[in-house]
Amino acid sequence: MWYSLGVEAPAAIERISELLDVGGPETSNTSMRIPTALRDAAALAVRELGVAPSATALTTAALRSTLEAVVMQAVLDDHYEHHPQARPDLGDLAVAAAELDGHPLAAEPERLRQAAAEIAVRHPDASPDDVLLWAEARALPAA
Amino acid sequence: MSGLVVLDNEAIQALADPAHRKHRQVVSQAQVVASRKRRAAAIEIVVPTAVRVEAGWDRTSPAWAFPNRLRIADIPLDTARASAAAAIRHRTRVSVADAHLGAVIQSAAPGQVTVVTSDPGDMRLVAGDRDITVVAI
Repeated sequence: MWYSLGVEAPAAIERISELLDVGGPETSNTSMRIPTALRDAAALAVRELGVAPSATALTTAALRSTLEAVVMQAVLDDHYEHHPQARPDLGDLAVAAAELDGHPLAAEPERLRQAAAEIAVRHPDASPDDVLLWAEARALPAA
Repeated sequence: MSGLVVLDNEAIQALADPAHRKHRQVVSQAQVVASRKRRAAAIEIVVPTAVRVEAGWDRTSPAWAFPNRLRIADIPLDTARASAAAAIRHRTRVSVADAHLGAVIQSAAPGQVTVVTSDPGDMRLVAGDRDITVVAI
């Protein structure tokens, strides 16, 4: 877990989720200070790459996505605490990642679980995508 | 690349019930989506509202607290999707819920569409020409 839940945290998570659901045109000016280089990079990405209609839209989308991830992870962590058997291990997550991506190795879950077990020995913080890459490399024929 | 993960009736049932034999599989998918969102990937989980009706998912009921809190967005059966769903249902004879799901797939913005389902055949049928990734549960 990359944050710690205090007594007030569950209520805060609920409120954040409610606020994320609020639609409508209401906006607010902020005095938020961000690094100048980051601001310039965002402006360039909008103007030259068309990644978003405006730097404000780009910033808003990134902020929304991050907050949604925070809420989702808090809810999942709470669920794992109450239902430990539901907590996926690295092999489960590697299989899920392969399934969601339509990766060919999704059809070989045991190979992915084996790769997860191998990689976890030396890299306990490995991600599901690390496992996929490792399993894919292992599947390549030797040159 | 953006990604849309669409849940069908069985996926919703599995997510909501910790005793369901596929619960951990669907939770794993939700966990991967959460982790990818944390890394700024443009990905979201959605449910067509007609599918939610079929599954009995009442957002006002405490019994559905876990899926309610997971930031799974409703995709309504609006005018355009109702017309698309009617055409899909006429063509394929699938259920109203699956026709709505097909309309969601076909109206999705460019990017990867993944459907978590217990019925891969029907999902490919309602997707029409749209290329989709199917996760069978």
